[in-house]
Amino acid sequence: MKLVHKVKVKNALGLHTRPAAAIVKLLQLRKSSVLFTYKDETINARSIMSILMLAAKKNSLITVTVEGDDAELTMANIVRAFDEEFGEK
Amino acid sequence: MSQAEEVILRGLPISKGIGIGSPVFFFNADDEIPEISIAKKEVEKEVQRYRRALFLSRQDVEGLQKMSLNEGPPEIVAILGTHLEMLQDPLITTVIEDKIRQLQRNTESIVHHLIEEYKLKFSTLQDHYFQERVRDLIDVSRRILGHLRPLDKVKWVDIPHHSVILAHELVPSETIEASSTQVSAFVTSAGGITSHAAIIARAKGIPYVANVDIKLLKRIEMQSMIVDGSQGLVIMNPQRSTLKKYQEIKKGHLEKFRLISHSSHLRGETVDGFEVRLFANLENPKEVDSLVKNGAEGVGLFRSEYLFLSKKMFPSEEEQFQIYRRMAKNLKGRPLVIRIFDIGGDKKIDVLPDSPDAWYFQTIGTEANPALGCRAIRFLLRYPNLLHSQLRAILRASVFGEVQILVPMVSDISELRIVREKTREIREELEKEGIETAPISIGCMIEVPSSAIICDALVQESDFVSIGTNDLVQYVLAADRSNPAVSDLYFATHPSILRLIHMIVTSANRFCKPVIVCGESAADPMMVPVLLGLGIREFSVSARHIPLVKHTIRKWRILEACRLAEQALEYTVAHDLRQFLSAATDAIV
Repeated sequence: MKLVHKVKVKNALGLHTRPAAAIVKLLQLRKSSVLFTYKDETINARSIMSILMLAAKKNSLITVTVEGDDAELTMANIVRAFDEEFGEK
Repeated sequence: MSQAEEVILRGLPISKGIGIGSPVFFFNADDEIPEISIAKKEVEKEVQRYRRALFLSRQDVEGLQKMSLNEGPPEIVAILGTHLEMLQDPLITTVIEDKIRQLQRNTESIVHHLIEEYKLKFSTLQDHYFQERVRDLIDVSRRILGHLRPLDKVKWVDIPHHSVILAHELVPSETIEASSTQVSAFVTSAGGITSHAAIIARAKGIPYVANVDIKLLKRIEMQSMIVDGSQGLVIMNPQRSTLKKYQEIKKGHLEKFRLISHSSHLRGETVDGFEVRLFANLENPKEVDSLVKNGAEGVGLFRSEYLFLSKKMFPSEEEQFQIYRRMAKNLKGRPLVIRIFDIGGDKKIDVLPDSPDAWYFQTIGTEANPALGCRAIRFLLRYPNLLHSQLRAILRASVFGEVQILVPMVSDISELRIVREKTREIREELEKEGIETAPISIGCMIEVPSSAIICDALVQESDFVSIGTNDLVQYVLAADRSNPAVSDLYFATHPSILRLIHMIVTSANRFCKPVIVCGESAADPMMVPVLLGLGIREFSVSARHIPLVKHTIRKWRILEACRLAEQALEYTVAHDLRQFLSAATDAIV
């Protein structure tokens, strides 16, 4: 299954190392492939450094593409992590 | 030759102190990377070459990390943790491999391009946090490139003593590997106060000034220079009077340092004459002599696994016996506490797969949670033959000095009982063979929370206990300090830790059993007075820290230390407690 969803970066510092690490960590439990697209750039969301490379600041909109057997759960987890500002709220 | 003109440049002071020496320019080879096409059939070979370089880089960083865990400041461990993470990041692993296949070009140029792309991306962002990540990435990539092209690697051994290193920018690992005897100071064009290289330079006490135009310096002919890391000054070709002035300042610093090292020959006692015993932690058996010179009263912790790690295979009983006997003899009656092999679990062992001892690790397999895995006494109880031969070697050596056994990672009294029972059996066995043994103390390492909690029972069955603070803190706080995402939760001075130590000392005192503290806390000037106040009378630290610990102890009165500990025990928030301790211990000079 393939899912596409837009999420907003809500935390003040943007996608810096800690949120990036949190995303990579939560994906370790999931099997689906996950891509982030921001400003014409698409990267593998399992890479902390690639996420940092997006340099997405607060209020950026990221397009998340999830493909695989556990796509639904994976997407739900990602959306929640963004919503909860990666525990930085 | 006429005296060249004195030139003074002002930069950003990063790490305090005065460095005097001759300039050595570091070049960054990044700019001259050749681009070579690769034949299709050679591509997989190229990928293999890259994987090997990655593997070697990972080994480097793990090695540095292991070294820093025992010796270095915690910041370095965390920085190296970030580097390890980067080396495992898909961007470095699969993305580069894919690009090698896709573009069919040499690895060096692909790594180089990736770094350039990354640099470009972040050059527009003013966020220093991102800048720091880029520097880490450059560092990691340089390490990889170094393994791809071994000839270009900076070799520290080739650098003369008293060098002032001049570079456009320093990367953390260069700073980690630099020794303060070789490097008098660092001067760079780029780099800020919060850069990782800066943190490391400060931790090592190497003066460092940044924001200095290195290109300009290259044009000045100079023999010697002074770096004033406190004021942020770089002085080329100093006049005799300037040199004299700075030598005086440096002498003042050294004087203070000597005062500290001088205390190694003084007694370890408080101002009011309360005696404290200082032992040394030891890895290399050959260093026994030097630790006695440093003023140690014996070996409080011999990490016997070093014998295994240095050879990458288990030493035989006979080999061990020879080593233990020599150490015991050289210590001339001073205690030698041998901690039996602390191997396995998160203490990663890079045994080659074809080594005969690889089997021990293969049958355990990859543990999902190695920090909570089969390590130390658990490992030894799984392989009783290893425990048996080690205990035999120790008992045979026991008649040559004051040898004691320390059992690591005890989480239940039964483990201690088994070791005691085995020791008794082996003693009988040896007696039957006509081999003499001496009475031997068996101590318990307290580093797992369960053993701290049941310490009232544990001390009754141990001859002494040894608190391993590094592991205890990590297990109690459930925070791995080498993991940058949680390292800020790692407080060696956490209120829970102080309370546990208090509990252990109280139990041990009730049964008159000695408590020794080993681990970094025992050498931390902020922790030593508290530990003293909590009732710790024995410390075991790495030999080079003994003068500092003695110096600290000699500044305190026992009653003041007790009062400090009492006050500290009332704190409930880690951050507040640390502030309190840092203020209280700073006040006493």
